[in-house]
Amino acid sequence: MEPLISMGVLALIGVAATIAGASEDLESDVGSQSNPNSQVQLAPQMMFPHRIYNKAVSGEPPSNALMSAVGATGAVVLMDEFSLSPLFALVFGALIAAMVHGTFAVTSTMGRAASQRRFKQPVYLDMIRSHTPVIMGYAFITTFCILVVSFLMDSVLSHPFPLPLLAFIWGITVGAIGSSTGDVHYGAEREFQQFEFGSGLNASNSGNIVRFAESGLRNGYDNSWFCAKFGGPVTGIAFGMTVFLGNWITTVFDPARGVAEGWLSVVAGVIIVLILIFWNRKIEVAARNAFGPYKQDKTEEEAAA
Amino acid sequence: MSAGGAGGEAKGGYPPNTIIGIGAAGGLLGIYLAHFLSGINPAFSFLGGIGAICAIVWGADAVRRVASYGLGTGVPSIGMIALGMGIVAALFGLSVGGIAGPIVSFIAAAVIGAIIGVLANKVIGMGIPIMERAMVEIAGAGTLAIIGLSTVIAGSFEYGAVIENVVSTGFIAMIFIIGGMGILHPFNANLGPDEKQDRTLSVAVEKASLAMIISGIASSINEGMGAAIVTVLVGLAIWYMAFNKYYGFVKRDAHAVVGTGLLPSAEELE
Repeated sequence: MEPLISMGVLALIGVAATIAGASEDLESDVGSQSNPNSQVQLAPQMMFPHRIYNKAVSGEPPSNALMSAVGATGAVVLMDEFSLSPLFALVFGALIAAMVHGTFAVTSTMGRAASQRRFKQPVYLDMIRSHTPVIMGYAFITTFCILVVSFLMDSVLSHPFPLPLLAFIWGITVGAIGSSTGDVHYGAEREFQQFEFGSGLNASNSGNIVRFAESGLRNGYDNSWFCAKFGGPVTGIAFGMTVFLGNWITTVFDPARGVAEGWLSVVAGVIIVLILIFWNRKIEVAARNAFGPYKQDKTEEEAAA
Repeated sequence: MSAGGAGGEAKGGYPPNTIIGIGAAGGLLGIYLAHFLSGINPAFSFLGGIGAICAIVWGADAVRRVASYGLGTGVPSIGMIALGMGIVAALFGLSVGGIAGPIVSFIAAAVIGAIIGVLANKVIGMGIPIMERAMVEIAGAGTLAIIGLSTVIAGSFEYGAVIENVVSTGFIAMIFIIGGMGILHPFNANLGPDEKQDRTLSVAVEKASLAMIISGIASSINEGMGAAIVTVLVGLAIWYMAFNKYYGFVKRDAHAVVGTGLLPSAEELE
């Protein structure tokens, strides 16, 4: 293939992956999936009933793998059986995946609330009705972008794996990156805004999540609004970089052109990983120097002594 | 701190042996009927989906029993391991077993499950009393779910047909994850001290019927539109019934199901 075309495809894949990462994180934040979920689940048990969506589908990697694999299945059927254009097939596949994901979201939030009867956590139908379409909307965007990435790799970059398997793998990847990168900004910060920044989560504060918003009761929209400022975009950049750099090394050093090129791509990958490890270490040390350890109040120190 | 269950034996409802009977017998029967009747008319391949529903309900019940010992975040993992064991056992059994393929797979799954159960309890030291038995059950259920859904797509459980229509097309990834979620999601979605078996199993039927619908869509490539439509419509009917049943159980079990409202006051929480 022309190097210029493969570079263009690579850029498109990177863009789609960036959008997928951002929407994946916001999708999990609207429903409090994954990391923040344990505190949302715990809150009613500590006498803090809430109006926050409890989307305990599973960890983010399996649920995103499900969406992507279901979407890819629908798309493959539409392309092979009905000979539809790939663009329409990918959109329709993503739509099927979003609907399936919607049912998973509804059963989990209703079930988790119903299983907390003794703690008097009500099931708020208006909250479920208003949040589920938003979750499905984000799920649609994520699935569509993952399908675009997988389809381009499959049909243009001639990846040997079939579309559903590629989508499955990228679904797991986007879920894993969303879970490790983006969730921190919701689980560690947003849920515990009423406590001093950087103080960590004291065991006695477990379950005491923020339940009241600037106006009225806090809900999943408020949380996605907060996460859209930093957590979502940073997840997008992380996933976009993963996909882009992962494909970049084999596009520049194409293993199809010979074994030597293949080994060069491996070397390039190792160099990128080393640079990132070094860079991360620099950032961590700089942050520790700038902000230091959490400083206790005088009274706390006296109490501890 | 566990946000999970009560940390003891799961209680109530249908006894385990009834569910095992429904899962194992129903699963194998559905798979064999689908295999033989699809030769007469491809539309009968939907019976594989019915078999998969039985198997997934069994798997979800086994997950419920083992995860009640305080597995909170471990519930998704156990669903994944179910289908991981299942996929190995299914492909092994179908490749060597011929017409007895599903049964050979089922036995292979039991062996793999027993080994993993012993490893989990003796080597890792999880100390869950029913771990070995539950892993055997979960592996068996995962295997039957995979073979059932594969039979929907391929119209047969012959090794060659499954490899050609399910594995090389990549649909195996979809079967793996949707079967695994069918087994892990019901208990995970209903996790909490007031979890009830019938509510959990109604979610299992609902999720398994979704697996049947999606496999039905995938089957249109090999089986043709007629057979696919039958599978999808049967799946949709089961989904609709199961979801309504589930919503009824939620209304029965929840503290309150309200259209809208403020948080319960401090007095109400007393």
